[in-house]
Amino acid sequence: MTEHKQLLMIDDDPDFVSGVKAILDAAGYAVDVAYNPKDGFAALKKKRYDLLLLDIMMGRGAEGVMMARKIRKDPALKNLPVLIITGIREQVAFLFPGQAVHPRFMPVDELVEKPVEPALLLEKVEALLAASAASRKP
Amino acid sequence: MTPPDAVRILLIDDEEIVLESCTEILRGSPFELATASDGARGLALLREVRPDVVVVDLKMPGLSGFEVLEKIREADPTIVSIVITGYATVSSAVEAMKRGAYDFLPKPFTPEEFRLIIRRSVEKRSLVLETMALRRERDLLREHFAAIVSHELKAPLAAIQQNLFVLERELAPLASEDQQGRLARVKARVGDLLQLIETWRRGVSIDIAAIKAHCAAVPVNVPIAKAAESLAVEAARKDIEVVSAVAEPAPVVWGDEVTLTETLVNLLGNAVKYTRPGGRITIGAEPFAGEVRIAVADNGVGIAAEDLPLVFDAFYSAQPGAAGERGSGLGLAVSRRIVEAHGGTITVYSTPGQGSTFVITLPIHRDDGPDGPRHEAAPVAASAKEGRR
Repeated sequence: MTEHKQLLMIDDDPDFVSGVKAILDAAGYAVDVAYNPKDGFAALKKKRYDLLLLDIMMGRGAEGVMMARKIRKDPALKNLPVLIITGIREQVAFLFPGQAVHPRFMPVDELVEKPVEPALLLEKVEALLAASAASRKP
Repeated sequence: MTPPDAVRILLIDDEEIVLESCTEILRGSPFELATASDGARGLALLREVRPDVVVVDLKMPGLSGFEVLEKIREADPTIVSIVITGYATVSSAVEAMKRGAYDFLPKPFTPEEFRLIIRRSVEKRSLVLETMALRRERDLLREHFAAIVSHELKAPLAAIQQNLFVLERELAPLASEDQQGRLARVKARVGDLLQLIETWRRGVSIDIAAIKAHCAAVPVNVPIAKAAESLAVEAARKDIEVVSAVAEPAPVVWGDEVTLTETLVNLLGNAVKYTRPGGRITIGAEPFAGEVRIAVADNGVGIAAEDLPLVFDAFYSAQPGAAGERGSGLGLAVSRRIVEAHGGTITVYSTPGQGSTFVITLPIHRDDGPDGPRHEAAPVAASAKEGRR
């Protein structure tokens, strides 16, 4: 890796964040953290990130979903790859009755469950960064 | 224009005078009456009128009242139906009520009798709708409750586990073998707890809508083979023979392959757990009286008679298995909910010391192709029989 990829993680559980961040730090990523959607969105506006790690079940219910929708509507952010991290898959299905279990919030996104094995986490992050790089090429 | 909540009555009778006089009787009432002079016209009006109550004359030329009742039930089983009968046809009124009619009105009837039966039927209809709404609300609350509770329980565990993952990596070069083993056991126990919470959530709120959305024609040999495969290693370890006896061609059910497989894995897993080394497990499937019966039979430790009624309850866990294993007490509860979501039943037969047989009955899926309902007539292979002990 020639330069550190810039990652932002938005999750309201500091202990979970530290368990994910340690894995990503060790793999050479530069990880910023926001502990609520509001700070997260502000961070996205201030700095250009290569990837967003987004918790779905934040605060009262699914604030992460609202966040994802907001990002998708934003022309400057809509192509940002997102790794969705959720408590349970079914919970996502519960929020979107009648839709596929893996809702495509973003053009480039993936979904993993909490807790996430280090190898799987790194694999998903790499794959998303690669897919995003490929989609930017003409 | 009709207000959307107006109560609508559809009257189907071939006698012009009945249609006219009933229209007259209900004039000025809060009920709107639509009429049809025969069964075919009545059914054609069904979608347009969307009636709350249908009144059908049993004796009509063309489609009989019984056929009309049948079609109405197919279209919307919540519609309350009343049949009109002549004096000589009381027995057919009884027959109609057996088939789901709410009440009957013998001809000739007075305006007051007609008004009364309509009022009672409308009341019945509103109760039916209210019950349905409450049931839906209850299911939704139950699922919501389970989702919230499981999320709150899992979040701290996920944080713990995530940090154990990190510690395991960071300590790998430093920790002694003993310490690494301890860490691995902690990780495994946290993993078990996470799994248990997820199983509990499914036990109390299997998403029936999701199961229905994933339903397709499933030949039962497919989930049976998958379940057998996933338990193969465990069975081999205990030297237990697993025999599958599925009728040829395999009966087909309308179901969700994933959750059906999960159910069979639960039953097979229990069978392996409660069977002594060297034992034998049979999984049979055969068509039976328009249904498909899948039986998982073992010659293991069996279940005491007083425990039999409890085994499908959540958090019931029997005495430790043949090798002292214990379950979460949720596998069978989850299985029952899955089977019931498929419109099936699950029962158990057992003799302590000789073994247990779990029988799942699912509605057969009829192939309406050129071959007709071929699954029902399929030859029956040797398989575990219900209640054979």
